Order: sequence, then C-alpha cells, then structure tokens
Amino acid sequence: MKVLAAGVVPLLLVLHWKHGAGSPLPITPVNATCATRHPCHSNLMNQIRNQLAQLNGSANALFILYYTAQGEPFPNNLDKLCGPNVTDFPPFHANGTEKTRLVELYRIIAYLGASLGNITRDQKVLNPNALSLHSKLNATADIMRGLLSNVLCRLCNKYHVAHVDVAYGPDTSGKDVFQKKKLGCQLLGKYKQVIAVVAQAF
Amino acid sequence: MMNISLRLRRPSRMVDGKRMRMTSSFQWLLLTFILLYLMNQVNSQKRGAPRDLKCITNNLQVWDCSWKAPSGAGHGTIYEVCIESRSHSCYQSEKTNAKIPALLPGDHEITINRLYDFGNPISKFTLNEKNVSLIPDTPEILNLSADFSTSTLHLKWNDRGSIFPRHLNVIWEVKILRKENTEIIKLVTHNTTVNGKDTVHHWSWASDMPLECTTHSVAIRCYVDDPHFSGRKEWSDWSPLKNISWSPDSQTKVFPQDKVILVGSDITFCCVTQEKVLSAQIGQTNCPLIHLDGENVAIKIHNISVSANSGTNVVFTTEDNIFGTVIFAGYPPDIPQKLNCETYDLKEIICTWNPGRPTALVGPRNTSYTLFESFSGKYVKFKRVEAPTNESYQLFFQMRPNQEIYNFTLNARNPLGRSESTILVNITEKVYPRIPTSIKVKDINSTAVILSWHLPGNFAKIKLLCQIEINKTNSVQERNITIRGVENSSYLVAVDQLNPYTVYTFRIRCSAETFWKWSKWSNEKKYLTTEAIPSKGPDTWREWSSDGKNLIIYWKPLPINEANGKILSYNVSCSLDEETQSLSEIPDPQHKAELQLDKNDYIISVVAKNSVGSSPPSKIASMEIPNDDLKVEQAVGMGNGILLTWNYDPSMTCDYVIKWCNSSRAEPCLMDWKKVPSNSTEAVIESDQFRPGVRYNFFLYGCRNQGYQLLRSIIGYIEELAPIVAPNFTVEDTSADSILVRWEDIPVEELRGFLRGYLFYFEKGERDTSKIRGLESGRSDIKVKNITDLSQKTLRIADLQGKTSYHLVLRAYTDGGMGPEKSMFVVTKENSVGLIIAILIPVAVAVIVGVVTSILCYRKREWIKETFYPDIPNPENCKALQFQKSVCEGNSALKTLEMNPCTPNNVEVLETRSAVPKIEDTEIISPIAERPEESSDAEPENHVVVSYCPPVIEEEIPNPGVDEAGGTSQVIYIDVQSMYQPQAKPEEEQESDPVGGAGYKPQMHLPITSTVEDLAADADLDKTAGYRPQANVNAWNLVSPDSPRSTDSNSEIVSFGSPCSINSRQFLIPPKDEDSPKSNGGGWSFTNFFQNKPND
Repeated sequence: MKVLAAGVVPLLLVLHWKHGAGSPLPITPVNATCATRHPCHSNLMNQIRNQLAQLNGSANALFILYYTAQGEPFPNNLDKLCGPNVTDFPPFHANGTEKTRLVELYRIIAYLGASLGNITRDQKVLNPNALSLHSKLNATADIMRGLLSNVLCRLCNKYHVAHVDVAYGPDTSGKDVFQKKKLGCQLLGKYKQVIAVVAQAF
Repeated sequence: MMNISLRLRRPSRMVDGKRMRMTSSFQWLLLTFILLYLMNQVNSQKRGAPRDLKCITNNLQVWDCSWKAPSGAGHGTIYEVCIESRSHSCYQSEKTNAKIPALLPGDHEITINRLYDFGNPISKFTLNEKNVSLIPDTPEILNLSADFSTSTLHLKWNDRGSIFPRHLNVIWEVKILRKENTEIIKLVTHNTTVNGKDTVHHWSWASDMPLECTTHSVAIRCYVDDPHFSGRKEWSDWSPLKNISWSPDSQTKVFPQDKVILVGSDITFCCVTQEKVLSAQIGQTNCPLIHLDGENVAIKIHNISVSANSGTNVVFTTEDNIFGTVIFAGYPPDIPQKLNCETYDLKEIICTWNPGRPTALVGPRNTSYTLFESFSGKYVKFKRVEAPTNESYQLFFQMRPNQEIYNFTLNARNPLGRSESTILVNITEKVYPRIPTSIKVKDINSTAVILSWHLPGNFAKIKLLCQIEINKTNSVQERNITIRGVENSSYLVAVDQLNPYTVYTFRIRCSAETFWKWSKWSNEKKYLTTEAIPSKGPDTWREWSSDGKNLIIYWKPLPINEANGKILSYNVSCSLDEETQSLSEIPDPQHKAELQLDKNDYIISVVAKNSVGSSPPSKIASMEIPNDDLKVEQAVGMGNGILLTWNYDPSMTCDYVIKWCNSSRAEPCLMDWKKVPSNSTEAVIESDQFRPGVRYNFFLYGCRNQGYQLLRSIIGYIEELAPIVAPNFTVEDTSADSILVRWEDIPVEELRGFLRGYLFYFEKGERDTSKIRGLESGRSDIKVKNITDLSQKTLRIADLQGKTSYHLVLRAYTDGGMGPEKSMFVVTKENSVGLIIAILIPVAVAVIVGVVTSILCYRKREWIKETFYPDIPNPENCKALQFQKSVCEGNSALKTLEMNPCTPNNVEVLETRSAVPKIEDTEIISPIAERPEESSDAEPENHVVVSYCPPVIEEEIPNPGVDEAGGTSQVIYIDVQSMYQPQAKPEEEQESDPVGGAGYKPQMHLPITSTVEDLAADADLDKTAGYRPQANVNAWNLVSPDSPRSTDSNSEIVSFGSPCSINSRQFLIPPKDEDSPKSNGGGWSFTNFFQNKPND
C-alpha cells in the first residue's frame, strides 16, 4: 500500500481529479456523458503521436541509463535480468480500431506511469546520486502524464469514453532491493519494446 | 573405580567345624562331599550377594548408588543399605540402587543385604567420595529461536541451580549442526555459575551463513566444576537437538537480502531453490558453489570490497533465470570532525561538523545524526538533504533562556556502527554576528557624522566590538568601537576626525567583545562631508614675461584636503609699501594671472575662496634677487625623478623653490615648480610630465625676505637614452693613403642625453659587398676609433691603401646607449708614383739588356760574322770560272746578292723526319742527282737575282709545281751552311748539265721579276754572277716586312738569297693542314718571333 500512497495515488489524483478518483474505471457506455476539466486540444492525435514519438525516442536511453546504474551484472545479463517478462502488462493490438487502440494505450500508459513512479521512488532511495537517471525518469513520467490526459480527452471527446479499467504493475515497496532493480529493469525493457509498437501503430 | 571388598564370615566357620570331627576313611568321601558342598555353598554365597556398587551424584547432595543384584534375587527383593560409619543408618530399597545423602570425605563402610532372606550373605563395601561420579542432569533447551534478518540463533535454557547446595561454576557446551545434522559447524563453551536457584540463561550466536540457507540444529550439555568435590566429574549428556529451519515458499530466493556489512569482512550467500543452480557471481566475478541441502547452494565471499551506491549485486544463475540479492558493503560512521557550535544572534545555536570518511552507504543506510544537549536533555535530529555536502552538515538548536553553557553530543549512527563527538561551549563566547545592514550616515559637522546600522540578534547580554572602515581616496582607516548590545538590533555611533568636503566610504563589521569571529563586512556606504574654509593659500610662483613688462602669477590648485570644499575663485592682489591693491578675481579653473607691474618690488597675494570662506593669502615678491655667480650644471635623474642637492645656506629664510621646464621651449618657460623647506638640502623632483630622453632645465631658487634668488641652473635628463639619429658626416679629402672625415653636431632634441663621444668604424669593403656587421663584436678587420673629445669635428684616417674602397661608419653615443650608425663608402686615390715605377723598371731592364746585347754583339761581331756570315769566295777570283767572265761581263743585267725577296724554286723533300741528319748529308748530293728534272722545268734565265732572305721560319705550302717536279710531300730547309760545303761537286755536275751554258749555271731556274732592285745591287753583280744555290728555293717563302710575298715564280719578283745569307738552320715542315694559309702575313715582328721560338 505504500506504493499507492507514494507513487501511484498522486499520479492518479492528478490524472483523474474528479469524484471517485482512484477507483477502477470501467469503459463507459457510448452514450454516457463525458466531460473533461480542460478543453481538449484541437489536434489531439498529432499531439498523441508526437508524445509517443518522444517517448519512443527516449525509451532506449532511459533503459540503458537504468541498467547501467544498477551495476554489474545487469549490463551483461540483459536477457535474464531485464527481459520484457512482465506478465500482467496490458495488451495492445495494433490492428484494432482507433478507439480500441486508444483504450489499450490508456491502459498501457496508466500501467507504465504507475510503474515508473515506483521505479523513480526506488531509485531515489537506492541511487540518490544518479541525478541523470532521476531526471530522465521524471521527464518520461511527465510526458506520460500529458499523454494520458490527451488520450483521455480523445476518448472522451470522440468516443465518449470517460472511464477505462486499468491495472497496475506489482508493488515493489516490500520487495528486496534486487527484486526492485530487476522488476524495474524488466519494466523498462518492456516499455522500450511496447512503446515502439504503439508509436508505430499511431 | 570403586574399591569394593566382600567378606564371607559365617560359611567359613562351618567348614572348619566339620573338618575337625571326621577322621575315618569315610572321612575321605565325606570330605569330598563336604568339599563339593562347600564349593557349592561358596558359589551360592557369591551369587546371592549384591556386588559392583557404584555411586554417582548430579547435585552433590544425594549420591545415587547402584549395585548388581544377586542371581537369586527376584522381583520383590528388598535390600537394606547401611552405612556403618554413621550411626548405623540404613536405607531400604526394592531396587538395586539407593539414594543416600552425600557422605563426608573419607572411607565409609556400606553394607547391603537382602532383607528376609537369611542365609544370604551381606555385601560390604567401602565407599569414598572419590569413588563417586558427579554427572549433572542432561540440560534441557527451553527455547531456540532465530533472527533471520541477522542470521542469529537465540538459545535459552535453565541451569537448575537450585539443586546444587552451593555456588558452583558450570560450563555449558553448545553444538550447532548443519546439513541435516551431519556437520558440526560450531562447538562453543559458555561459563556460568549456579547460585542455588534456577536461572534461565541466554546465548546467541550469529551464523556466517544465513539461517534460511539450511536447517540449523542445536544441542547443549553441561559440566559442573566444583573444586571441593573430589570425585570424578563428568559432562552431562547432550540435550535433545532443537532445529531451526526456514520454510521456503515455492520461489527461489537468495540470502541474505539487502544486508549491510563492513568492508573487508567475509560473508556467505545462499540460494534457496528447487532449480539447479549453474553459477554464481558477485558483480562480475564468478564464485565456486558450495552445495547445501537439496538444490540449495552457497558461495563464500572473503574480504568484500566497498559497494557502489546501488549496492553489490550477487546473483545465482539457473537454466532460464537469474536470482540475486544486493549487499551493501561500507564503513561505520567516522567520528564527526570539526564539530563547532556557535550562534549568529544569541537566539539559535548552529552546530556544524565534517562527517569524515565516507561510509559508502546512501539512502536508508546512510548515517543519521542526532545532536543531544545534556544539560537541557533536548536533542535535534539531522534531516538529510538529497546530495549533502560538507557545508550542509549542520543542525540548529534553539537556545534556552538563561543557559549559556551547552554540552552537545553529536551521535552518528548507521547500520554498521555508531560514533559520537562532544563539545562544551559557552555560547556567549561563540558569537558570529550576521552581516550588519541598513547603514545610514548623518552629519554632525564638517568633520563628524553619525553612523547607524542594523545587526540582527538579541545581544543585550553582551558587548559588541565593531570595526568601522573609513575609506577615502588613497587612504583606509579602521576604527574599533565597543558598544553594548541591544535587543532591537539598532546601533549608532559618532565618527569624528573626518576631513571636510571629502567623500568617505563606510562599512562595518561586528563581533562579540569576547572575540570569536568577525561578521562579514556590511555593504559600503558613501558619504560626502560638508565644506569648510580652505586651510591654506595656494602655492604660487611668478615669472616675468619675455619682454619684462608683465608679471605672470601662477598658482597651483589646492589639494582637496586643503581646499575643504569646491574652490570657486581666487583673489589676486598686490601690495607695495603697506599699500594693498586688489587686482582681480580669477574663477577657479584658471590658475594664473598676468599683471602689468613696474620694476618695483611688489608683494603679490593670492587667496582661494570656496562657499564657506577664503583661505589665508599666499604671498610672493615680484622681483628676483640677482646672482652673478651662476654656472650651468648637468644632472641625470633616476628614471622617475631627479635628485637635486645643494649646500645648506642659513641666509635662506623662507624656502627653496625648484622650477623646471623643457629646455626646447621658449621663455618664459615653466612646467612646474616645487617648494621645499628652507632647512632642506636636497629635493627629488618627480613629475608625470617627465619623459626619458628629454632635456630639462632646472632652476633652484633660494628665498630670503620673501625675495627669490636663482642659486643654480641645471640641465638634466630624467633618464638618458641613446641618440635617435646618427651624426651627419662627410668626407672632406681623400688621398692614396688617408681619408679626412668631418661631421656635424646632433641636435639636442635628437641627442636624448649628454653626448659622450663618437665611435668611428672603418674597414675595406665595396658598397654592395661589405657591411659592417656586429660592430661591437670586436672583429679584427674592423678598425674603431673612439672620439671622446666632443670639440673634435674631423678625423683623418691614415695608413690606408691606395685605390681601395673603404666602408666608414660613424655613430654617436650617450650614457643611454649607442645611436644609429651612418655609413659611407670611400675609394682612396691611386698611387701614381708606384705605377710609374712599375712601368719604368721593366722598360729600363729591357733597355739595359738590349744595350748590353748590342755591345756584346758589337764586340763580338767578328766572331758572329765568322760564325754566321763567313766570307763567300768571289767566283771572279776563281780561275776555273774565268771563262765565264766575258759572258758575265756581257750581261749587264747579271747581279749577285740582290737583297730582294727570293722565291726558291726548288725544295729538298725528305721521306722521313728522322732521317734529317742523314738527309742533310745526302742532301748535299741528292739535289745534284735530281737537278736535271728541276732544271727542265725552270725557265732559262739570264738574269739571276739572289736576294737576301731574312730567317723566316714559317710553314709554307708547297708550290704545286714543285710538288709535281719533286714528287715529295715534305719540304725541309736545309742548313745553308751545310748546303754550302758540298759546293765543290756541283761544279762537276755542271759539266754534265745538258742545259748549262758556258760557265757556272745555277742548278735551278729562278725567275727573277723584281724591278725594284736598285743600282746598289748592280755593283755586286760580278760577285754573284754564276753562283746558284743547289737547293731549289722555289718553295721558300721568304717574307720580309718590306717585301711582298713571292709565291708564284712566274708572276712575282723572285729574289734568291745567297746561301750565306740564309742563316736559318731550320727544317721547314710542310703543313699538315692543307687549309692553313701559306703565310699568315704577320710579317716580321716580335710577336711572330716569340711565337715561333719554341720551334727552334
């Protein structure tokens, strides 16, 4: 529960600052009313594409920075330590409709955002002097927040989807340091892999 | 071992009685029977008595004695154990043991018999404490627990001390087993004492291997060490094993997890797994596996090195995964260094320290600090910033009222240890005030102000020491003041002894009176003090104009410290005989005034005025006291100034004035002046206007009765430089061996110093080839003349070579260095006498040689004649030829020795040159033999001219006609004299000559065509008639300077010389080169003579 208090909850509060924030968000019926706190940008899809491209462009550097900061033998055993073996990662179907893809993207970004919050928190404790890693993690989380907002706007405006069920990654707060390192590395490896597919799909 | 003795009493007495009664033969059988019986009885006695008595004790109070029961003893047998040494105390027991109270030291008789079983023997034993064993009861582990995080086992047991009668030392032995109780990994002893009551003991043990890795078992036993007990002391039995095991879940895990250990220590890691572990590594280093229970493995790391911030990763690799843990190897906290506590404001104490050696532990493992104050019992904790620096290690502690002494303890703690540092401070002595702010200045008067500032803090209990820096142009002054501290932080002080109308910059810093540290300087505050009247009159001087009609008064602007304000104007007045006349008021920027005065001695006064008032007047007399004894001196300065000295003159009552100006300026010339007191004897004149290399005039005036007298006139340089130009010089005169040079003076402006002389260099050299390089290098070929006589303007350079180019260089020098050089090339004149001598001497020698030769020839002319011109016999005197006389006489044209060029028409040809000597011999003959052929070609001639041919030795191209006739290719001129001797024979041959007429006929035909022969030749006709040389001289080309060449006998006058006149003894070698001319026509000349001479 600590991770919810420290990493995920603030993120969700920012993203879903409304009544009932924090509860699972089911996909609303199409005819349900949908309202956003701020007017959505006119060219949302372009912004989403740009944000995805931005994330895709920085994902590998973040991945390298992360596993380098964890020390040996992480850089030399990426397949076993940082392989994208994230079991509960939300799926993405590139050939689906735009609505489906946006919903899946929303789930992915929500999942990644929460996990990134955990990673950032863990690394601040574990590697307090790795400022460049912290900076890149924060920057990525910032872009994800913006992307999530844009996706929600798009879903809301065009498809009248106000609520999407999301799932989050494992809570790492109670795990040992090696597990934190390993899970973070696997998550970032998965992120690097998935964001390339997602960016390509949009 | 117990010493037990068994005695049989009654049976032995019965055997003895029966033996005494039976004496017959039956006695033997009976005896045998009896013996058998006795034997049986004895054996039965032995089997029926208790034996092997053993006693042990576990508490030193009760002995537990046991024995072996007799064979016949069945269930329900009651034994009676009696201790004979006591008051026959007996104890009954149904078992084969009995507990008896502990006996005193010494032997005790113990009897054991079976009750209600008469006839059975009684067993007697002697029992001593030494025969008793002290064996404690088997201890029991009350509790065995494990702290997996620290891999520590905690053991708890009861020592049952209540059973022991006194204090005893007890040794406990604990054994720890691993690997399913097969391997004892630890066997430790633990000493305790028992004090008559039960005590629970605790013992902990930290495993080097995480407890999760494998099952750990523990057992315990004890040993009572009672020095008063003389019996045997033995260890108790081991307690039952107690196990500690970790119940693994299905996931593979590596232990220990996230452990913090000291750098350099050893540690064991294990992987609890159900998969097969392939390898293990720490960082990048592989480690050998230690197999534990099941698939569990471990690795042991020795002397672990310091970890990075993120820790050291230890991983175990299986077929398809990697499991791991992170270890943090670091150091315990160093003792906090340079702990210092001070206060800025006496409200809050700030303590700073240096953490010392880094621990290499970050995040939650980092060192935590707590500052504890022991008098108040308060403490504050250090809140870590993300990236601490040395400066950030500080803690603030709120001061407590009425507490000045503080005893601080700074505790540092991390997972590897703790350390502390203490400091005891009187905080009133550790005041480090903050920066004073809000500096303000207010006027009191022109020399005093009030300075106020704000100093944060409550310093009411102490005095402050403040330092005020008073800064004005080129001057810094610091004043310390002590003021009592106030609560409201506002302070003010009066600052006096300032200068009027001066810009001051104030800044302040403070400390406690018990000095600890100065605060930082406050910001600067500028302030201009108010004006006051000028303190002095201006420094004045006067000069008469060049026409002597006007007096120019100069004064210097007052320095700011004397002007005491902005000078607005100057009042100039003059007085004569107590009568003062104000002349003019000059506004400030102007610092001179021109007055029309007569030659009376006026006193001129100058007064400076500012907004507050006027200065005292400065006075100067208009006239100068004459001085007839004045000389001009020279002086050189020191680079930045010039030192003038003079003798002390008591008559000078006012002061001395030195004025100076640039010597090149026109009068009145005044650059500046300087006044020095009348008791001075020297002055250093310095001015920014001084330039090196410029000549200045310095005038020293003495003052008496306000009148100035010129004492000395000095020309000088602040610094001498080398001349900037070369002296202009010309050559006034040159001769064959000397050059006279004249030069001009260098202008003073270009001289740049006092001229010390000239250097004159000269060397041989042409304009384009010679350059005097390195004049100072002492080249030997350069001659140098140093002219130090400055009045000398010419120089004659003697001992030069005639008609030689000389390179002349002239340069001037001062003490400042050598000037540039000017060079010139001069060629000395030619030495005509020598030339004449050089010509005349060879001519004279030639003439002398000629004269001597002529004299010799003349003296020896007879000999020469005999040698070279012997007399030729006159054929007319020859009777053999008289028949021809008529013939000759009839021919008026017949002549002899005609001195005409002759053209020989016959040559003697030789085959080889080597045969020349012989040929000469044969030549005398051979021409005769060939003569008929030659004569056939020759034209009959009645007029024969024998011309004289000078001895020309030249190559001659043979006449084609001759070649035809002779058929030879080489021509040799035969020695005339040798040719002449065989003249006798031709006479015989002439007789056989079919062509020959009467008388002598020459053997060759000589076509004489000359028409130029004079009558002189006719006179010799008789002498020459009839004689012909035997040689064919057609081929001879005798050339004389005054006769034409004869090459064609038909067309040219051919003169044939007498054989006697042919003095050449030379062979004429026909030219090999057919193209070469027959004659070069050079004529008879010395040139030809010398050219052909080598052919002789």
